Amino acid sequence: MSDFAQQIEQLRPQLLRFARTQLRNDAWAEDAVSETLVAALERPQSFGGHSQLKTWLVGILKHKVVDQLRRHTREATILVGDDGEDLDDALFAADGHWRDAPQDWGDPDAACSRKQFFEVLQVCCESLPPVQARVFMMREWLELESDEICTELAITASNLWVLLHRARLRLRDCLQVRWFNARSSLVEGA
Amino acid sequence: MKNTLTCREATRLLLEDEEHELPAADRLQLQVHVKICFACQRFVSQLNFMRRATRAWRKHGESDDDPSQPD
Repeated sequence: MSDFAQQIEQLRPQLLRFARTQLRNDAWAEDAVSETLVAALERPQSFGGHSQLKTWLVGILKHKVVDQLRRHTREATILVGDDGEDLDDALFAADGHWRDAPQDWGDPDAACSRKQFFEVLQVCCESLPPVQARVFMMREWLELESDEICTELAITASNLWVLLHRARLRLRDCLQVRWFNARSSLVEGA
Repeated sequence: MKNTLTCREATRLLLEDEEHELPAADRLQLQVHVKICFACQRFVSQLNFMRRATRAWRKHGESDDDPSQPD
């Protein structure tokens, strides 16, 4: 195997993880990653060496992920039971007030320089119900515009808002539990 | 025009605001609510942080330093 092929192969596990988080389907993720690696090996000259190898591969992977979603549009948006669950009733009392006011996250930006934080963020995305995870990743990670997502997944704009609304509330909840609470208990314990 | 939003409604509008521009009347009601509601102010800062965090994550995911990767 050439050096280039070897370096690319070494990045496969990381690419697979990103693809899985986005597609929430192992077979599609494998396909997207394989297609990415094949495309990379076929056109090594298009890797100018200006960017890091991983950055270049992730750029290709994003296209392959969208291709997979396009190919599986129907399956990708079948709303399963857990996607219908709304966090709102757990968060708000009958009169529309917060049951528990959102907590003060202090100076949360310090988190963004920490590797463990991104690990938690990824785990939180992975724990979203599949369709929510898919639309959230398309929006935030693939940076697709709302109307592109609606077209790719054949859903309406209001479907999309509902899904993103649920995804963001769940993520917020997950970050509270897995990052902010976990850290404050560490500090108290110290 | 309804005079006040509940926190639940305000939260829904805040999340919707991430996706598209709100109608002026909704935006105004939202501004009034957030001004007087301490809990929703916190929710706004949490949302703002989540937006910055996902942006940083995107950059991190694309180019975090991999020790096996000579630069």
